[in-house]
Amino acid sequence: MKKKIRLIVNGEEKVLTIDVQQTLLEVLREDLGLTGTKKGCNQGECGACTVLLEGKPVSSCSLLAVKADGKAVTTIEGLAKGGQLHPIQQAFNEKGAIQCGFCSPGMILVTKSLLEQNPNPTTAEIKEAIAGNICRCTGYVQIIEAIRSLVP
Amino acid sequence: MRLLEFDYFEAENLEDAVAHLKKYNGSCQIIAGGTDLLTALKQRLYTPACLVSLDNIPSLKNIKEENGAIFIGAMCTLEDIINSELVAKKLPALKQAAWEVGSPLLRSLATIGGNICLNTRCRFYNQSSFWRSSREKCFKAGGSICHVTNKQESCVATFSADMPPVLIAYGASVRLIGPKGTRLLPLRQFYTDNGRFPNEILTGSGEILTEIEIPTPSSQTNSTYCKFRLRNSIDFPLLGIAVLLILDKGKFCKDARIIITGAGSAPIEAVEAREKLLQQELEPQLIDAAAQIAASEIHPMRSSFVSPRYKREIAGVVLAEALEKAGGIRE
Ligand SMILES: Cc1cc2nc3c(=O)[nH]c(=O)nc-3n(C[C@H](O)[C@H](O)[C@H](O)COP(=O)(O)OP(=O)(O)OC[C@H]3O[C@@H](n4cnc5c(N)ncnc54)[C@H](O)[C@@H]3O)c2cc1C
Ligand code: SF4
Ligand code: FES
Ligand code: FES
Repeated sequence: MKKKIRLIVNGEEKVLTIDVQQTLLEVLREDLGLTGTKKGCNQGECGACTVLLEGKPVSSCSLLAVKADGKAVTTIEGLAKGGQLHPIQQAFNEKGAIQCGFCSPGMILVTKSLLEQNPNPTTAEIKEAIAGNICRCTGYVQIIEAIRSLVP
Repeated sequence: MRLLEFDYFEAENLEDAVAHLKKYNGSCQIIAGGTDLLTALKQRLYTPACLVSLDNIPSLKNIKEENGAIFIGAMCTLEDIINSELVAKKLPALKQAAWEVGSPLLRSLATIGGNICLNTRCRFYNQSSFWRSSREKCFKAGGSICHVTNKQESCVATFSADMPPVLIAYGASVRLIGPKGTRLLPLRQFYTDNGRFPNEILTGSGEILTEIEIPTPSSQTNSTYCKFRLRNSIDFPLLGIAVLLILDKGKFCKDARIIITGAGSAPIEAVEAREKLLQQELEPQLIDAAAQIAASEIHPMRSSFVSPRYKREIAGVVLAEALEKAGGIRE
């Protein structure tokens, strides 16, 4: 069964005809070519597929794209502007919070949402915010430091 | 793994949704947040011809207090519950349980209705179809043998949702709507203790859960939820215990409820441990005695990843912790 949906992806309106059984992750990667959003476990356990839906981080592998109809989606491609990395991306770079990079889009988007809601999070609040995102490389210490470096 | 094709129907009202479920005659399911359902569909545990979404029915998203009871719509997300001031003030253990479900990335999608309707889980069943194909189909998957008990036609899959034990401790009821009209059912009666068809809806009643009704707890009520799992995030509970105490003068146990998830095919009430507490002063020795009793009251099965003996051991530890917390003996 097909359905026409409208997404606001990184500020741009996209009208698409999709199969109702497609996940938001599949639509982003395959229909829109936005491969910055990663497929890890494909079952809600790792956070590699994190995007912001109306500003809130969600696992896009665990969400049918039809359920995002009419909503704003932010992916990692939406952060850098005019060839300039977003300050969160810069902080992750500088603090060594990126190794293989597979978890980074998710970690960075979760950070964006956290700092928008709470510009002054404690370390405990930072850990809670990234609790759904698994990183196999960094051991989390540098990621937490990168986020802390953004807190005034 | 991709999802197989299905039809998708966005109901405009509950009558619509019930009629649609009926039309597909069993091959149709409600999709709430979809956080559990999508994985189950990818694993080919179910292959419905149609999914019915309740997203367009705003009345299912309310949280309110009226005439001495708190009403929570089935489509409220766990994040809505965590952010609700009413819940934080009147039902603190429910907020705690919601906060411990899965991860933040799921809680903004996952609903309380979906949590209540969650199927039981088993290490032989909740796997990809490829993984499952390495053994004979188990009873729950449509075969005849149970790999846990080695018996024919039995299923002892584990009930593992976090919200129901707390809701049962608070005395919650659920409102269901179906082809025969609506009914209000005490939540504990919603569960069948049958690993294969663990609740009224999964037995094929064609009903939809619309609302949860909880009598507003008295000011003497102390409640908490303690969850045990190997990682402090993402994981389902290996064991979770909800405790509600009605304390007189802050220490005499006028009433108590102890409800355990992760220890059987339904939420289990530790009846004898409760008896031990009644009319007694809550102090460390009594807590230890009640914890030991609770550990012997449960009969967990090897459908979970840890051994039954381990779970019984943990049950005592977790219950003691929960009683100390609810009794104000520790933070
Ligand atoms: C990685 C991961 C970790 C998880 N960890 C936990 C955990 O720690 N604790 C926990 O309790 N759960 C956990 N879950 C399971 C799940 O995310 C939650 O239980 C969630 O609350 C389910 O709600 P949902 O709205 O997503 O349900 P859905 O997936 O939409 O539905 C679940 C089931 O309920 C039925 N259903 C839903 N709503 C209704 C309704 N109103 N009427 C009738 N039937 C209905 C559906 O048909 C389906 O069978 C986890 C899931 C994942 C993927
Ligand atoms: S308990 Fe037995 S029948 Fe039930 S899911 Fe597990 S193996 Fe299958
Ligand atoms: S790919 Fe979505 S959570 Fe792992
Ligand atoms: S940097 Fe490799 S998974 Fe996080």
